[in-house]
Order: sequence, then C-alpha cells, then structure tokens
Amino acid sequence: MSTQVHGRGLSGPRRSRPRVARLVAVVGAATLTLSAGLATPLDPAPQQASAAESKSVLTVAVAQSVDSLSPFLAQRLVSTSIHRLMYEYLTNYDPKDNHAVPGLATKWESSADKLTWTYTIRPDSTWSDGQQATAEDAAWTFNTMMTDEGAATTNGSFVSNFRKVTAPSPTQLVIELKKPQATMTALDVPIVPKHVWEKVDDFSKFNNDKSFPVVGNGPFVLTDYKPDSYVRLKPNKSFWRGAPKFDELVFRYYKDQDAAVAALRKGEVSFVAGSPSLTPAQAASLKNEKNIRVNDAPGRRFYALATNPGAKAKNGRKFGDGDPSLLDERVRHALFMAVDRQAIIDKVFQGHAVEGEGYIPPRFSQYFWKPSASQELAYDPARAAQLLDQAGYKKNSSGKRLGKDGKPITYRVLCHATDPNDKAVGQYLEEWWGKLGIGVTLDCLDNVTDPWLAGTYDLAFDGWSVNPDPDFVLSIHTCAALPATPKDTGATDNFVCDKRYDDLYARQLAEYDPAKRATLVQQMESRLYDLGYMNVMAYPNAVEAYRTDQIKSIRTMPSAAGNIYGQDGYWSWWSAVPAASDSSSDGSGSTGAVIGGVVAAVVLVGAGVFFVLRRRSTADDRE
Amino acid sequence: MTTDTPTDVPADSPTDGGPAPVTGAGPGRLAWQRRRRSLVRFWTRYRTHRAGVVGLVALAVFALAALTAPLTVGSDVAGVTDAPGRPMESPSGEFPLGTDRFGRDLLGLLVWGSRVSLLVGLLAAVLSVAIGTLVGVTAGHFKGGYATVLMRVTDWFLVMPTLVLAIALATVMSRSLGTVVLAIGVTSWPTTARLVRAQTLAVESRPYIERAKALGGGHWHVMSRHVLPNVMPLVLAQATLMVSAAILAEATLAFLGLGDPTVVSWGGLLQEAREAGAVSSGDWWYLVPPGIAIAAVALSFTLCGRAVESVLNPRLGVDR
Amino acid sequence: MSSVQKAAAPALAGPAARTPRARTGTAYVRYGAGKVGGAAVSLLAVLVTGFFLFRLIPGDPVKTMTGGRPVSAAQLDAYRREFGLDLPLWQQFTDYCGKALTGDLGTSYQFRAPVVDKIGEALPNTLLLTGTAFVLYTALGIVLGTRAAWRHGRLGDRLNTGLALTLYSVPSFWLGLLLIIVFSVGIGPIPGLFPTGGMESGGEEGLGYVLDVAHHLVLPVLTLVAVEYGQTLLVTRSALLDEMGSDYLTTARAKGLRDDLVRRRHAVPNALLPTVTLVFVNLGRTVAGVILVETVFSWPGLGGLFYQALSVPDLPLVQGLFLFFAAAVIIMNTLADLLYPLLDPRVGR
Repeated sequence: MSTQVHGRGLSGPRRSRPRVARLVAVVGAATLTLSAGLATPLDPAPQQASAAESKSVLTVAVAQSVDSLSPFLAQRLVSTSIHRLMYEYLTNYDPKDNHAVPGLATKWESSADKLTWTYTIRPDSTWSDGQQATAEDAAWTFNTMMTDEGAATTNGSFVSNFRKVTAPSPTQLVIELKKPQATMTALDVPIVPKHVWEKVDDFSKFNNDKSFPVVGNGPFVLTDYKPDSYVRLKPNKSFWRGAPKFDELVFRYYKDQDAAVAALRKGEVSFVAGSPSLTPAQAASLKNEKNIRVNDAPGRRFYALATNPGAKAKNGRKFGDGDPSLLDERVRHALFMAVDRQAIIDKVFQGHAVEGEGYIPPRFSQYFWKPSASQELAYDPARAAQLLDQAGYKKNSSGKRLGKDGKPITYRVLCHATDPNDKAVGQYLEEWWGKLGIGVTLDCLDNVTDPWLAGTYDLAFDGWSVNPDPDFVLSIHTCAALPATPKDTGATDNFVCDKRYDDLYARQLAEYDPAKRATLVQQMESRLYDLGYMNVMAYPNAVEAYRTDQIKSIRTMPSAAGNIYGQDGYWSWWSAVPAASDSSSDGSGSTGAVIGGVVAAVVLVGAGVFFVLRRRSTADDRE
Repeated sequence: MTTDTPTDVPADSPTDGGPAPVTGAGPGRLAWQRRRRSLVRFWTRYRTHRAGVVGLVALAVFALAALTAPLTVGSDVAGVTDAPGRPMESPSGEFPLGTDRFGRDLLGLLVWGSRVSLLVGLLAAVLSVAIGTLVGVTAGHFKGGYATVLMRVTDWFLVMPTLVLAIALATVMSRSLGTVVLAIGVTSWPTTARLVRAQTLAVESRPYIERAKALGGGHWHVMSRHVLPNVMPLVLAQATLMVSAAILAEATLAFLGLGDPTVVSWGGLLQEAREAGAVSSGDWWYLVPPGIAIAAVALSFTLCGRAVESVLNPRLGVDR
Repeated sequence: MSSVQKAAAPALAGPAARTPRARTGTAYVRYGAGKVGGAAVSLLAVLVTGFFLFRLIPGDPVKTMTGGRPVSAAQLDAYRREFGLDLPLWQQFTDYCGKALTGDLGTSYQFRAPVVDKIGEALPNTLLLTGTAFVLYTALGIVLGTRAAWRHGRLGDRLNTGLALTLYSVPSFWLGLLLIIVFSVGIGPIPGLFPTGGMESGGEEGLGYVLDVAHHLVLPVLTLVAVEYGQTLLVTRSALLDEMGSDYLTTARAKGLRDDLVRRRHAVPNALLPTVTLVFVNLGRTVAGVILVETVFSWPGLGGLFYQALSVPDLPLVQGLFLFFAAAVIIMNTLADLLYPLLDPRVGR
C-alpha cells in the first residue's frame, strides 16, 4: 500500500502490464473492425459497381457556382452553359466553321427592307413535359424581355432593337426591327416554355429552382440542384437532334483548382475546365498521366491592355482622373512597344497562348485581322524611349520621366486580384516600364468594377470571350455604349469613342452580306489597333483535361481544334461518347467510403476499449 | 530603507539580497546599476529554460539572415524579367529549392521574403501591444465611466473573430504592407489590454502608489513612473507571443490574396504556389519551405515568450 | 500562454475583478440576467458595427452588379430603391435593425435569395466540420494535457508539449495543403486515399451518403484538430500543474489514494475549470481556422460564402455572416460565464 503512495518508481512494472494489455486490445479491435469493414454487407461498393455498370456519368468540375437557374437572371458562364443545355436557341453554330445552323428555327429569311425577319419553327421539338414547343413560346420569351425589367437583366441587349414580335402560326415567328441588325442569326437567347413561365410574377426574384425536373427542350433536362455543390442533368430522350449518349451529366463545383485536378487524377470527375484554363504546371503534370488527355487548343479569349482615354458621358461631361499623358497616341504606342509579348507567352503562359495581334482571335478566321509590318507595334524598347522623348516626356537626372506638370509619371494599373496572370504580367510591366522611366502602381482588387466605371484608373488588364458573331465585343467600344450621364452606367468597356470606328460599326451592323461585313469588321480592328486604347497582348489557349477511360470521344469547337467547355452550342456534352471500360472511378469512391467508415469505427472502438480496460485495471489494482 | 527610484522590483519575486551599497553616485547611476543587475538576474534565470534558449538562438539566426539579406541575395532575386531559371523547376544543384513560377531562385526568395514577414510581424505586434498597453493602463488607472466604456469596447473586440475583422479591414483599404500591419494591429490588441488593466489594478493597490499620490504625484507621473515599469515585463511577454500570432496572421492575409502582390513574403509565396497549381502538380518545394519558415519563426517567438513569462512570474510559468 | 488564457477567461478568473456572488438561486438569476443582458448589448454593438463597417468597403454594389450592361440612371435608381440604398444612411440603419429583430436579414444581391436562407444552407456544413473538430481537439487536448502534467519534466511531457507547440505555430492552411498533397494526391507509390475537397461525391443515399461525408470530413477535421489541440493541451497542463501543488492533494495521497485516482477524481476536475472557459472563449480562433480550412478544402460552408459576399460587396450577406460569427462567439462566452459559477463553488465566496 505504501508503495503506491510514492507513485512512479515502485509501481512502474505493475503499471506497464495493463498498458501493454490495453495496446494489444486496441490493435486487436482495429484489425477486427478493418476485416469486418471490408466484408460487411453494408459495403456500398457492390451496389455502386452494379449501378455504375448500367449508368455512365459525365462529371464536369467547374470553378464557378451557379448564381441563378433562371436564364433571365444568370450572368456566370457556368449558368449560361447549363442553360444552353436546357433550352434551345433559335439558331446554333456549326462546330466546324461557326456559321449559323438550325436550332429551334429551321429556316429564316429577312424582308427586302431588312427590317422584318421570319423564322420557321421546327415541328419536332417538344418540351420535357410533353407539350409542343411552338413559335408562341419564342414570341412570349422575347416579348417578356421587351416589357419586363427583371426579365431583361441578362439578355436585354438582344431585344433593344426589336419593334414587335409576333407568332402568326405555331411554326412561324416574325420579328420586326427598328433598324437593320446583322446579328439576327446569332440571337443567344434561351427560349423558355410559356405555359410554365407565364405563372411567374416577379422575374427579378424567380430563380427557377423550385420544382424539378425543370421543363426544357434542350439536349438535357435539369433534374437536381444543390447550391454551391452540383447540378445534375439527364439526357432528353426526345431531343430532335438525337439524345446524348451519357446517362447523366453532373456539373460539380470545386472552389479550388488543385482539388479539381486531383479529383480528375483519381477519377472522381471526368473533365476539368480550369478557370479560365488549367495552369501550365497543372497541364504539364497531367500530360504524363495515363488515361488523361490534355486539350490544349486555340482559345476564344483575348487578353489586352486597356488605356484610359479620359472617361466621358454621352452628354459630353468628363469624369474620372485618367492620366492626361495617355491622351497622346505616341505615349500609348510607346507603352505597348515596351511590352515584350513573347516573354509573356513564354514565361507567364509558358507556351499556352498565342501572341496577340488584332482584336479578334485567329480561330474566328472569317474576322481575324493582323497588322501589316509597317503598322505593327512590335516589341522595341529603344523606339519606345524615342517616342516618349519626342512626345516631350524626358527623363530627369534620376532616370524618371517627368509629366507635363513636372512630376515623375506613375500609372495606376488595375488588375483582378483573382487572376494570377494579371498579377504576373503586372510585375513584368513594372520592370519593363521602369526601365523606360515610368512608375507603375499595381492595384490588384477583388472588385475592379468600381474604379473602372468611375474612370479612376490609367491602365487596366482587359479580356473578353469572343462569340462567332463578334458584334458584342465590337459594340462595347462605340460612343453609343457610353453612359448617358456621369451618374449612369453604360455598356462601354473602356470609354473609347471614335467617329470613324462608330461609322464602320453602323455599316457592319446593317450589312447582311457576310464577306462585305467581314471586311468592315477588319477595318474596325485596324482602327482600334492604331488608336492604341485596346491592344491585345495574347490569345490564351483553352487548356482543359479529361479522362479517356470515362470519355471515349468528345467534340471540340472548332472541331479541328478548340475548347470543350464554354462552347457556342451544346456540341461537346451532347456528342460525348462514354468509354466502354469498367467503372473504376466509382470503385475508388466507394473504397473511400469504406475507409471513412473504418477509420471512424476504429477510433470509436479503440476509444471505447481503452476506457473499459482502464477501468478494469483500476479495479484489479484496488486492494 | 526607502529608495526613491523610478523602477521598483515586483514585491513577490525573489531578489538577491539587500539594496545596493551607496557609493556616493547620484540616484540616476544607482538606477542604472539596479537595472543592470535585474537584467543579469533575468538572463540567469532565462538561461535555465532550455526551450527559451533554443527559441532565442533560432530567432537570432532568422534575424541575421534577414538583416544580411541585401548582402547575401540582394534585391535582384525578386526581379522577374531577369529571372535566372525556367518556371517551376525542381530542386537541382543550381537552385537548391527549385524555382518559382517566374523562374526565380526559391531559396533566395525565401531569404529575401524573411525581411517582409519578420518586419510586418514585428510592426503589427508592436502596434497591437502599444494600443493594448495604452488602453489597459489608462483604463486601470482612471477607473470610472471612461474605464467602463473602454472595457466595453475591449470586450467587443475580444468577441469579434479577428480574422473576419482583419479581412474586412484589408478589403476596405488598398493592398499594401501598411494595410496588413494596420489590420493585424488593430484587431489583436484586446488581450493585451485586458491583461495590462488587471496588472495595473494590482500595481495601483500597492502602498507605494498611495504614497506617491500623497506626495503630489499626478496622473502622468504615477502612470509613467510607477505603473508602466511594473507592467513592462508582462507587456514584453505578451509582445513576444503576439509577434508569433502576427506572423501567422500576415501569412494568412497574404495567402488569401489581401497582401501586396509585388512584395515577396512567405505567405505571398504560398499563395503564388497555390495559384500556379503546385499542389496538384506535386511541386512540394514551392509549398513546403515557406510554411516551415513561418512555423519555425512563430514557434521560436512562442518559446521565447513562454520562457519570459515563466521567468517574470514563476507562478504562471511552470515548465523549464 | 497560460497567463494569456487566464486573463482572457471571464473576468471571474482575475483577482481584481472578482465580485462576491452567492450560489443562492436569486443571486444566480440576477447574475445570469446581467450576463445575458451584456450579451444582448454586445450583439447590438456588433449589429451597428457590421452595418457601418461594410459600408466602408469600396464599391457600389448596384454598379458592380450591372457593370458591363447599359443601364440608365433611372434603372440604377430603381435598383437602389429595390435594395433600399437610396434612403439616407440612418433610415437604412433603422430599417435594417428593425428587420433584423424580426429575423429578416435582407436579401442577398447576387443570389437574390434571403440571407437567412443562404446562411441556413451553409450552416449545417460548417457545424458538422467545427463540431467534430471541436469535440476531438478538446478531448485530445485534455487527455494529453493531463498526461503531460502528470509526467511533468519527463520525456513524454516534453515531447507532448513540444509537438503541441509546433503544430500550434503551423499555419492551418499550409497544413491543409500538405495533407492534400500527401493523402489526397498521393506522393510516389502511396496513392491518395482521401478526396481533395468538397463535402460529398454526390449521388449517394442513406448510409452511403453518411460514409461519403465522413470520408470527406477526415482531412479537414484532421487539419483543424492538429492546429487547435495544442492550446487546450497547454492550458490543461499548466492548470493541472498549478493544482498539483495544492494541499488537498497531498492529503489525498497521504490517505493512501492511488496516484491515478488522485489525478482523475480530484486534480483534473478542479484544473479543468479554466480549460472549460478557455474552450468556449477560444471560438474566435476556431472561426478563423474554419474559414481557412473551408477555403482550402472547398467545404461548402459559411467561410466560402463570406468570401463570395465580400467581392461584390454583397452587403446584406456580408453583414449577416459577420453578425452570425460574432453572435456565435458572444453566445459561447455567455454560456461560459453562466457555466463557470455552477462548476466552481469557490467563486462567489
């Protein structure tokens, strides 16, 4: 008894025996549970495997979460991509060369005065609840957008030129315009079923997420939605172009790109798009993986440097505080000539981009333009320094160029905090322009919209995805896009307002002959290039990856080489053919579940055994 | 024997004997000698805490690396246009820790980044402790309505999740080092304030304070000459612990993208690693070293802080 | 660290702030009412601060949401009216407070859904993560802390404390990323055993769903536990070491009680008091940890929502989340305050 009072030394050997026994018990329990877990009939693996054998699932990892399931409200690419699958548009784009092909409309023609367009609506398109899709649905959709403020949120710009839309018969849709509009074969507006949507009373609040499956007539039907998690779709068996081959399409939200890539490696997802594309490191590491194909193809985006031309409103009032030195064309040219675009392609994009030239990316071959040798602003820092000297901005004794006010020039460059390319290029700009003698303040913000709209910036990183019909990206540089007064917001991208550009824009919008229109567009690109307010540094490639053991074939757009996610059309997901192999991907998922269960069980059982044995040893030792 | 010296040794810590022998020098010189003896005493006892010594040595190494960085690696290591290597190279003879997404030497960046990380950590901690001490001493000294208001504000800050507040502040202000220092300093002073206030109340209840007031000592005199020196050791311990937290906070804010992207810091390196896709590519050399550096510095400060705490107040610190 | 925690615990622990409180019923009720009242005041203060603080965030939410589309001034005014942004600030504030008291925290600008709904969707996920981690790290911290204290000075104690301190100094997001590399992506021949993110792989029902979520929960919980258990361990250890010198324990040992029992039945329960209050009070750091872990593991919880809201800025959502985080901490503190006198009979004499 007295031996126990002084604790440690003397009771040592007596204490160790219960301890060893405890350890043995825990290990034994663990092994028991492990083997039990593997043999348990509750193991979901068999169920999964059998289910998977009969069901092919295409899982797409997306980096955005859906903002709204209503095609009238959604702005994000993931949402509009899903809407393209749920609802048909009037026309679609050919995957080979982007020309307009039938969608909901089979034929279309314009009147002699170019102001009336008549579409023939196909008779073989049914909504997923069985009702026939008719011209009335299309007319109702357009009219709603023309009359309801909430419904015009996303696509109101398409109908701003419409005077009247009617459906004289179930297969005929007539749209009367106020002015000629060449984009009538590129109306990217989802047509919704009137009989479902006419019950909605407030379009600005209705998110289309209350009843599933959602009624639509596209290649897929939306069956389930969990916010910030996933969207599930099933194929529309009665789709007139033919039903998709996969049994289920799931868009799963991965906030973290690395997580998405790791999920692809393990087979949890079939496809990763990247945001906006995979990083060079990710692409490089995936290239060597078995069963994974990296799709590195010409992209549809341009990545440009925007220069503030002095923000002003349509009523002539100026606002914002762009640096006045930027109003000199020589300064703008000099700045761009000091940008080593090849280094950007090489170091920042590591080869996954093409050097920028004209405004429209080369894959839209019809509209692509490149400057001639004499017009080109090639990389030439020496010439850039010369230009700045000529413009009157000379270096002082410490090597900094002085503005007209005698103070060293420093430009504020707006960058998107969430875009690593912006930050990287920004650091290069700091050094290149530093050599020229110009200071740079890199403003990386989460919210660039505010200073942008207020005109309180000097330069900014800019980029847009271009559609087969380039009207939108051209329209944002017209004077008409400026805000009406400094208090309004306009559609303008960079406050560019040039008479010659506007003239060309008006002519191309009214030109229905494709070849003539293309020439006009190219002239516009040339003008924009010379102005120097919007110079393209690079066309980033679309870098995506998918598992070849889940997807046997999938159509890119353009078919020769293009992107899979974010297409103009539903070609990729509609044409995807499942690979015939076994469902190894689901296997890993269920093995994981088993491991999870086993770990939990081990922890619980181990803890329980531990405490039980402690109590027992106490009782043993009690005298 | 009474000595009218500005500093007073806490009554409950053991001294090494009686008062100093009067050598004929003035009170200033006496004070100096007394301070030196306290310091020696402090160091003798600190030395016995092995963990504290380890922490101190590690800190010295880091400080040395940071201070000599301009000589050893130079600011050129952060230049992107003249980056020596290809992007994301794995470790090799030329680049012991590989290269980053621009092709810059990661080992050099690690050394260069220590300056910012240590500086921000120290500044933020100093700011936080300064505010906390100010609030705590005045609240403990003045009492009454002013103190109640101050303590309510302190309690409110204590309740606020610091990271949420820091993120909100960093979003409101522009992205710069100053913002980060401010965001951390302004959100983490309450713990110090509370401690200092408790200690102030304890000190002010001692008889010699009453005597000083009776002799005509005003608020400023009492606070600066009597309270502050007695509170200082506690503040020192707090500050050391706070630096550890501040360094972690700076890394967190940089990782979340709220720091200055053109400045090289350890947290910034981790963010770049993540953005470049280092995690899924398995490029561990980009991710592991900055994290280890952050952990090592934070740990060293923590060890030192704990050692200082246990030296100054043996009741609180119980380990050696 | 011990001094920090002791002072950060409710004022009861500080010698200067101890006020006499008897354990009689009415006195306790008065005390409790006081604490609850204080909590309500704090909550109100948070409401006020949250409202004004986030108005400081640069960005006109209406312009952010309509940016890029031609919107007339009239339309912008209509939006502002819809969101109540055209009213003078004081009126917006009183409207907000009034609605908040009835449980209506406004409608999110970007999701066009009630803030309460958005929080409600994300809350269970965060609770699952935080709750599991909380239970595990508290238990682990207490168990290891008591062992370390009892073996004070020996190798086991030193290793334990050293490991706890080290993990405590590690940035949680970095640990998360490392765990992903090692256990999710897999290095070398070791395959990835755990998923890289998210809460579920989708498509499972019933028990399969539970196991799936558990599988996804392992790494995030592991990260949180590793970083947080250290503090609990250290406080328990130092509190226990304090207790160990007490007279009553010497008496107990002299009476012949086993070391084990002395520890378990007498020392530990008394030493746990500061731990208990610490555990509640520490929620602020846990909130930070949860935000980071949710970001790294793409866990669909309140942390991720906070991020999305800050960038617009989606004012109602940001304010709602801010209020929610602070409210959680306030409630926990109040619970600790109410619990302490019940646990410690010495308080109030």
